Amino acid sequence: MNRQLAHLSDEALVALAARSEQSALAELYDRYGRTAYGLALRVVRDQALAEDAVQEAFLTVWRTAARFVPERGKASTWILTLVHRRAVDTVRREQRRRADSLDLGAEPAVEGLEEDAWLRLQRERVQAALRRLPDAQREALELAYYGGFSQSELAERLGQPLGTIKSRMFTGLSRLREQLGEPGTEISWTSTT
Amino acid sequence: MDLHDLTAAYALDALDPAEASAYERHLSRCEPCREQLAELNGAAAALAFGAVAPAPPERLRASILDTAAAERANVVPLQRRRWVARGLAVAAAAAACVVVGLAVALSRPGHTRVFSLVVRNGHATLHVSGLSAAPRGKTYEAWVIRPGRAPRPAGLFRGGADTHVRLNGTVPRHAVVAVTRERAGGVEAPTSAPIFSTPT
Repeated sequence: MNRQLAHLSDEALVALAARSEQSALAELYDRYGRTAYGLALRVVRDQALAEDAVQEAFLTVWRTAARFVPERGKASTWILTLVHRRAVDTVRREQRRRADSLDLGAEPAVEGLEEDAWLRLQRERVQAALRRLPDAQREALELAYYGGFSQSELAERLGQPLGTIKSRMFTGLSRLREQLGEPGTEISWTSTT
Repeated sequence: MDLHDLTAAYALDALDPAEASAYERHLSRCEPCREQLAELNGAAAALAFGAVAPAPPERLRASILDTAAAERANVVPLQRRRWVARGLAVAAAAAACVVVGLAVALSRPGHTRVFSLVVRNGHATLHVSGLSAAPRGKTYEAWVIRPGRAPRPAGLFRGGADTHVRLNGTVPRHAVVAVTRERAGGVEAPTSAPIFSTPT
């Protein structure tokens, strides 16, 4: 595998992708493709649909890289946001699991998982932060993010007022952010000539 | 519906299409919400790393790259787009630091230089890739330019393969960072057009 761009920041790779450097897109995929696929699979629960969601998200990166604004967030956040949005659109369109119960935020069993150490560490860190949240907040985050449920669906299914759901999501996500300890504000800017 | 309340739900993609559109219109007018969304988006994306991630099938990578290559076959030639981006960067730098000699030189075809600036809590690191080493008797010099102020020297570097330069001092908000080529040892004020500049 050609990793000649391995030393570049994610943001630099997006800037290169905006200039039609295909190897930059490949490097972004090599960095985030696996996480993207895991996320999509968790949400849509179907391999073919998960592949479609990941493919569409990376092609959106390719098509719109020139409009990416680093001041508004990290490139990895942008990419994973695109993947998540695709996956949620898919699951809502397909009306998958609508008849099912609410256990859908739960982790599916995965066989033959060979994970690299860095990804495992990241996963354990996020899961530990989630476990430290009050149950109601963790449930709201998991059902919304991994289950693809909208806030109105959650209010209905959990039998709670919409305001309660909103507040659980906001407080839960804010706490998660503190737990994961973002290292201060980071602004980056990249140019290619 | 109080739109300020919807930031977390939007970050989690938990809004219906109509709510999401209303929130996006609100976002274009509300700076506090944009800042909060940037923070919560980061936390939401971190949840992606919480999912078990089996390896995707090999064909997915090939499919994405093949489709990408096919799509980009008939776009504006790279050379032309270089002119545009470069012109803008130089104009932005000129407005901010009044440098002399605004020569716009094209980079050689097939030769890409990447400047990447990361500012963390006011401290900046410049990553430079593909910039040829400064010739004998010359150096590259970084500048931090605050609006309305003279450019402040922020460090010297030789270029060459890949360079990481930690800039001296801090880079306040709204400051511009630029790089010029100067005589060895550096100068107190830029004497040439910037080869790189962040936008104002």
